[in-house]
This record gives sequence, structure tokens and C-alpha cells, in this order.
Amino acid sequence: MELNGFNCDGEGCAEEQEEESTALKLPRSKTETTCSIIATPGADSAAAGGSAPIELRMSKSTPAMLRLDSLKKNRPPFPWFGMDIGGTLVKLVYFEPKDITAEEEQEEVESLKSIRHYLTSHTAYGKTGIRDVHLELTDLSLWGRKGSLHFIRFPTHELPTFLQMGRDKHFSSLHTTLCATGGGAFKYEDNFRTLANLQLLKLDELDCLIKGVLYIDSVVSSGLSECYYFEHPTEPDRCEQRAYNLENPYPLLLVNIGSGVSILAVYSKDNYKRVTGTSLGGGTFLGLCCLLTGCSTFDEALAMATEGESTRVDKLVRDIYGGDYERFGLPGWAVASSFGNMMCKEKRDSVSKEDLARATLVTITNNIGSITRMCALNENIERVVFVGNFLRVNTLSMKLLAYALDYWSKGQLKALFLRHEGYFGAVGALLELTNPF
Amino acid sequence: MALSGGADRGSHSMDKSITLPPDEIFRNLENAKRFAIDIGGSLTKLAYYSTVQHKVAKVRSFDHKAKETDGDPLYEISVQEEITARLHFIKFENAYIETCLDFIKDHLVNTETKVIKATGGGAHKFKDLIEKKLKLKVDKEDEMTCLIKGCNFVLKNIPHEAFVYARHADSEFRFQNTHPDIFPYLLINIGSGVSIVKVESEDKFERIGGSSIGGGTFWGLGALLTKTKRFDELLQLASKGQHTNVDMLVKDIYGGAYGSLGLTGDLIASSFGKSATTDKEFSKEDMAKSLLHMISNDIGQLACLYAKLHNLTRVYFGGFFIRGHPVTMHTITYSINFFTKGEVQALFLRHEGYLGAIGAFLKGAEEDNPNQYSWGENYAGSSGLMSVSPELNPVQRARSGTFDMLEMDRLERQLVNLPLLQDPTSYIPDTVDLTEDALSRDYWLFCFEDALDGVVKRAVASQKDQPEAVERAEKFRQKYRHKLQTLRHQPFAYGSLTVRSLLDTREHCLNEFNFPDPYSKIKQKENDMALKYYLKVVKSVEELSWEQRQFTLVKGLLAGNVFDWGAKAVSDVLESDPDFGFEQAKQQLQGMKTFKLSHNNDKILNHKLFLTDK
Repeated sequence: MELNGFNCDGEGCAEEQEEESTALKLPRSKTETTCSIIATPGADSAAAGGSAPIELRMSKSTPAMLRLDSLKKNRPPFPWFGMDIGGTLVKLVYFEPKDITAEEEQEEVESLKSIRHYLTSHTAYGKTGIRDVHLELTDLSLWGRKGSLHFIRFPTHELPTFLQMGRDKHFSSLHTTLCATGGGAFKYEDNFRTLANLQLLKLDELDCLIKGVLYIDSVVSSGLSECYYFEHPTEPDRCEQRAYNLENPYPLLLVNIGSGVSILAVYSKDNYKRVTGTSLGGGTFLGLCCLLTGCSTFDEALAMATEGESTRVDKLVRDIYGGDYERFGLPGWAVASSFGNMMCKEKRDSVSKEDLARATLVTITNNIGSITRMCALNENIERVVFVGNFLRVNTLSMKLLAYALDYWSKGQLKALFLRHEGYFGAVGALLELTNPF
Repeated sequence: MALSGGADRGSHSMDKSITLPPDEIFRNLENAKRFAIDIGGSLTKLAYYSTVQHKVAKVRSFDHKAKETDGDPLYEISVQEEITARLHFIKFENAYIETCLDFIKDHLVNTETKVIKATGGGAHKFKDLIEKKLKLKVDKEDEMTCLIKGCNFVLKNIPHEAFVYARHADSEFRFQNTHPDIFPYLLINIGSGVSIVKVESEDKFERIGGSSIGGGTFWGLGALLTKTKRFDELLQLASKGQHTNVDMLVKDIYGGAYGSLGLTGDLIASSFGKSATTDKEFSKEDMAKSLLHMISNDIGQLACLYAKLHNLTRVYFGGFFIRGHPVTMHTITYSINFFTKGEVQALFLRHEGYLGAIGAFLKGAEEDNPNQYSWGENYAGSSGLMSVSPELNPVQRARSGTFDMLEMDRLERQLVNLPLLQDPTSYIPDTVDLTEDALSRDYWLFCFEDALDGVVKRAVASQKDQPEAVERAEKFRQKYRHKLQTLRHQPFAYGSLTVRSLLDTREHCLNEFNFPDPYSKIKQKENDMALKYYLKVVKSVEELSWEQRQFTLVKGLLAGNVFDWGAKAVSDVLESDPDFGFEQAKQQLQGMKTFKLSHNNDKILNHKLFLTDK
């Protein structure tokens, strides 16, 4: 059997491989750390809070040694990529091996070297590609190799440029599998083949998302915690970000806010369902902001929103009732009608672009909070993890979600966030590299 | 949450004059009392109670034991004056409010009225004006409480109040049978924001949730995006747009469907998603449509989540976002179908716009115990669904001004379900629904219009002693003909259209012009005659052998049901041969097999045959 230039022979080997891949599919099984190949720091090192916790934990038992041995053979060839092609953004994760021996380096083909250098020596690619350096995971062990995981994003409409680059750098000559998820994996499959001579391994985005979340959470457990929440979310002066230990995560409501929103109920690592979704997501925020303010990027829109005041745009309960609507327990500050003040011409003329951007952000965020809360109630789940690129550098929305969930559930629901907010699908795709076809 | 004051109408339009003679709108003001007013963002709804004096035809004597030879009439009908209670509800644009108040002030005679109940977001804005003009103290009532009270009232009293909307079906409106138990239900009120209320009984309801994305969002955001000011115009724009130009669909991301999740390619993945990634101009129509979908879907989704959490299946939608707008009823219906996979149906109400006013009125009329009586919609005095909907009927709108009316009469007795019915919910008294059956509808509307001259003639004849009867009869003719014309274009105007409702409408119109029963003279003559023959017939039947007797009874029964040959067929026979009698009717029965039944009348015939037992 030959897979991408990698030889595997003998029945025993095939069996081993199957077992390995099963192990790889179960990244979170902390109780079975001894037989897990994926880097999972043991409970002890997590408690100790060591500075270099990410290492391959191995028992000295012979089966594990055997596995490592077979892993070497079964290991996918470099480069290791995972891709998530969404409606607005392409998310790319790249594993950069740092343990390359001199011998290996000599054997390394030119195109591979070129890709590695290009990606790791830049933080921006072209006008729109960006490497989120602050998210980089260093000293990571993956499939027996040590290295860094890089997180890169660029707009989906720049995909042709990316493919051209892949062609220029002779990516296809590496015979690697490119694992891709997100709608674009399906939509652009033909483009990958015709423009860059690349064959995609298409993966389901929700499968990848959950795999990615569980994996990242399992490998990052000290230093900057992956998972966090806001303490005292309803008191702006005391509201503070705190680390959260997501050790026993189930059941969990996972809300992915990309261009649109998907809400998943996760009961175990391989038991989940998509509860619902909404089309009012990050794409709506940016789309409306572009139309209302003439801005063109998410960061611009967000910067404006930070400066604006939504109460000039929205009609609040107190605007209608003069104060709280006590009969129904509605506080005066609650929004009664999003953009409600804009029914009136004088008020339309007096608001700023910043106000409009802020109101758009608040409207979309509150709505996601509201739908999420109803799903949590219907599914009887108390923990909610929000992910997706809408939350990137968007503390405003995160605090608002934390506030809304806490306030309207009277403290029953907890809003959790993850540092690698938008990259989990791509990470999940990367993990499928050992499991091709 | 109701829309408050934010409307774009300036006070400059306050001087608009009423286009119709206002005494046709604010009727029976002379003895009006118990006023209530509901002032929304653009429409005012006024309610009052009045009593109407009108003639009723009553049987004075009925004697079937009398001897044939007696000279005295055996059957007598007399016309009496009677007073009934009537509820009036009038809806008009806020711009007319001052003119209307002036008119009411000038015509209000009753002095016992001291307060006017007021609700709605605009109530405080017009408080001073109302108090100054009417010299009534404005007494504010909670909006939501009024809304729910009104909703309970219409659901209980008005048959076919609720309907399902299906834009592309043969009949857009599918009216629901009145359920004997209206509780529990969910009311989603889409004003400028959205309120979701769970109603469990007459007095128990709870606002279980809401959303700030509502009608105000459509209006406000729509005005910003399209520079179009009016709500109606925004809806018009939306109905012409293509949302797929602005929204990012599943297929825009996937190239096709997202198969493993069963999400079809045409689903909206991200509202306004294309305007985030494409740098181009978008048309006003397309943006308005995208906005409409975004808001409708969002409200529908929340409604479904709340319905599921509280295990409720009856979900009514109201508020100015919905009010008479086919566009929004369609998008909300679509959304509910999508999110519940058809398990929950979106229900709308014919008199949704009046709920607040009805509720406020009921609050003020508690000592009259209006809830202890049954009230029936007066078809003569009510405008019917969509009478002022510009998108549906621009001509109609111009003709009737912008006033919409609802009148309800107190019924003599409280209506209850027949206790013998096995399942009152599934019992439908009318065999043919003319709303759904276009062919039958045309036929029956033609029949009633065709028979109108005859009815007018009889009406005049029934009041020979009154010279002005001719004029009144002519007014009746115009009114009823207009109703028939309306029903031809809007068969859904008063709920399910049936032969019964056409007869009721005619009766209401006749009553309005003081013709309690045009047939009273004929009835008197014929019944008198029938009673004279009664004893003789009974005797002759008794003398027959058992078998003969059965045949005679069946024949008699069929002949007695001669009207069920078809109203038109019978009236043709009777018109052409005034002496057509019972014996002739029995003769006709011999040819029954070849008698061509009038269109669709066979059902009625069978139905009656088994029920009639004299």
C-alpha cells in the first residue's frame, strides 16, 4: 500500500496503523494518556503549571514503544496543513517541525523548504494574509515530531492568489494530502485540482470543529489558558477575564460564529448534533456595517463600533416606558427595538457611523445570545462555548454575550471562550492527515 | 413592545379631512358610552358601546289545534321594536385623530360617560388633546393586558377569527374552526420590538420572552439602507427584491447543498453576507428583501424555540409588522414551517389590529359584564379583512377612505357548543367552503346577486304602509351588492365564506335598513294556511296502512324540503308558478331521478334528509 509516497507493508503494520489512528481520533481521553500518541500533558504537569508542558507523554511500556516505532513509518509526509475555507475567511494551520536533523534537512526537497521558510519568516502574506503570531503553539508534539503550530488567515476571495502561490512553489510535487474543511473545500475542489494540481481531502466542518476544540484544549493547559470566561459579567467595573478548566466539558453547547452561526450540542467526543443555526452572524455584522458606514474590513468595522454609542440608534425600554417596564420585569436599559430610533428622520440624521456600527454589533451579538440561551434551555445544557472569527479581537461582543447569558438566565448559564476562536475547524482538518481516504 | 411615537408622520398632516361622511363611520354616537382608544405608531383604534333600536319580526301566535273553520289567523307575526347592545370599533390613521375627536364631541349626547380608557404607545402623546376635546378623563391601561384581553375576546366570539396564510395555495387564507377551549396559546406581538406572551387562561398570562429585532428594526434599518421613509413603501420594495443578491447562501459557500446536514443550497447562511465580501452597489429592493427575510426568520426561529420550551402548538402573530401585510405573513409562515418542520403553524387573526382597543374597552366595561354574553360580528357594519390594504386593493382603499370598522352585536343568548356533539372541534356545520371552492363561490355569489331584486321587492312589500321603505330598500340593495362584490374579490373578508354567511350578511344588511324580515308577510300567509291543513293531513296519514304511511311520510318529508332542491331551482319554480303547492311538489318528486340537482347542492340535500324529523 502506498500512500503519498509513504510505504507501509506487512499486515501487522496495517493493524498497528489502524490502532494508531483510533488513538489519534481520541485526543481527549485523558484517562488513557499512556496509550495516546497525541501530546497530552498529564494531570500532574498541568497542576504543576510547568512552562514547557507540551511533550509527548510516553510510558516505558513496550506497546507504546512499538507504536512510536510504527508511527515513524506511518507518519504523513511533510508539509502538515489543515485548512478551513469559510464563507468569508480561509483559516490555515501549519505545523512547522523544529526537530529537523541535519540529515533530514539535506534530504528536504527545495519546495518544502521554501514553503516552510515563506510561512515562518513572515507574519503577513500579500495584502490580506495574516499570521496570528500570538496564537502560535510552540513546543508542540505531533505524531512524534516536535514543532510549532502556526495560525494563518486570509479572505476567501483571495483563494486564487493562494492557489497561484501553491502552483509557483510546486506544492503538488510534494504529493501531500491537503486536508480541507468548510464549504469552500467542496465549492473550490475543482479549482484546487485545475489551478494547483492539488487533490483535497474534504472533511465535514462540524466534525473538524469539535475535534479541533477538544485537541487544542487538551494540548494547551498552562500558561495562557485556552479556555476563559468573564467573572462578574454584569458588573462592568469588576468584569474580568479568568481562566477556565474545561476538563469535563460534556454536555456542552458549542456556538460557532463565522459568517453565519451554527449551534451544536456536544454530549461526548463523537456524539454531537447541530441544534440550529442563524443567518445573523459575523457576515451580517460586517455586511451591514459596510452598507451603513462604507467601511470594508472587519477590523475597521470593529474599531468604529468601539467608538460608537448604540443607545442613539436603538430604542430602549426606558425610551418607551420612561423607566423599567416593571409589569414584565424589563429593565429600562434593555433594548426594546434594535434600530428603533432610526424610524425617525431627525434621529437618522443625527447618528454617527460609529453609532451605527456599534448598534449593528450589539444587535447581532444580543440576538446570538438570545438564541443560544433558548437552545441551552431546550437542550438542558448550562455550559456554552463560543468560537468563531466573529469574536476575534472582539472583547465587546464577548463581554456582551457573557453579560446577556448571565443576566437573562439569572446566573444559570456560563459563557466560555477559547483563545484560538476561529481556527478549530482547520486544526480538526489537520488531525485527519493520518487518516487519509 | 408597541411602537411609540416614532412615526414619520408630522403634525402637518393633522388637518386631513375625512373623505367619507363621518356618520357612516362613527355610527350610533347618540347613545354611545364607555369609550376606549388605542393609539399606535400610525393607527388609532377607537372603541365604544352603543345600543341600537331596531325592528324584529316575532311570532305572536301559533295555534295548531284550532279548527280549520275558525276565521281568526292561526299564525301571526308582529314587528316589534327591540334594543340590542352593539360594540363599535373604528381604525384610522393618526393624522385624522383631531378631526375624529371633533366629530365625536359634536355628536356625543350621552353625559354619563366620564372617562376614556387608553392604551398603546401613542396614548400619552395624545392625552391632552383627548382630554381637551372630549372632556373625558384619560385612564391609561397596560398595553399587554389589553392586547391579551382583546385576543381572548375575538378568539371566543368570532368564528373563523384565526387563519393560516398560504400565499401560493388556491385560497390564501385558511380559516380555523373555533376551538371551544382557546387556551393555552402563544401570542407573538411584533411591534417595533417583539413580545412573546404565553396565555394560559382568561386572567393568567406571562411575557416569557421577546426580541429587540422587530418591526422597528425593519423600518429603522430599512430607512437607513434604502432612504425610504415609510413602512408600507419598504414592504413594497421588499416584495420586488431578490434577497439572493445580498445574502450569502449555503450554495455560495458550498457550491451546492451542505448534504450531511440536510441544508439545501438555497438556505441563507449569512444575511447580508454578500455585502461584506463584494464591493458593489446593491439595489434598494434587494436590500429591503434581505432585511425582511432576516427579521422574519429570526422572529420565527425565536417563536419556535419558545413554543418548544413551553410545549405550545397554537402560535398567533400580531403587531404592526404583520397587520394585513401578505408579504410579512408569508415570510413569517415560511420561517415557522422551516424551523418546526411543519409541526407548528403560524396563525394570524382577522381583527388583530383591534385587540388593544377591544381589551381597553373591556377593561372599562367590566360592570356591563361583556364577557358574559356572546357577541357576533355584524357583517353589515364591518369592513372585513384587508379592506384598506393598499397592496391588495388600491381601488377599494380609495373608495372607503382609510377607515376600517368592526361592529359586534350582543346575541340574545350565550352561544355554547351543542352538548350532543361528539367532538365540537371537528364539527363543521357548513358543507361547502366557498373560500376554497372557486366554482361554487361564483355560482352562489351569482345566485345571491340574481335574487337581490326579488328580495328588495319583498322588503318593500313587507312594509307597504311605510312610504320611505322604497328608499331604504334601495340602500339595502346597494349595501348588499357592494358586499357581494367585495366577496367576489376578497372571499376571505369575513372568514370562511359559506352559504350561511351570505345569508347572514344579507340579514345584517336588511336589519341595518330596518327590514327585520322581508318574508314575514309570505310566512304569515303560508304558515297560516299550513296550520289550517295540519289536522286534516295528520288524520289522513293516520288512516293509512303502516307501509303506506311510511311512504307518505317520506314523500311529504322530501316535498317539505323542496327548498333543498336548490335555492335557485325553487325560486325559479315559485316565480314562474305562484300557485305551486305541496301536492305539486310531491308530484315533482316522482321525477326525482331525473331532477337535475343544482351545482353542489346534493350534499345539503342528503344532510338535511337525515336530520329532518317532523
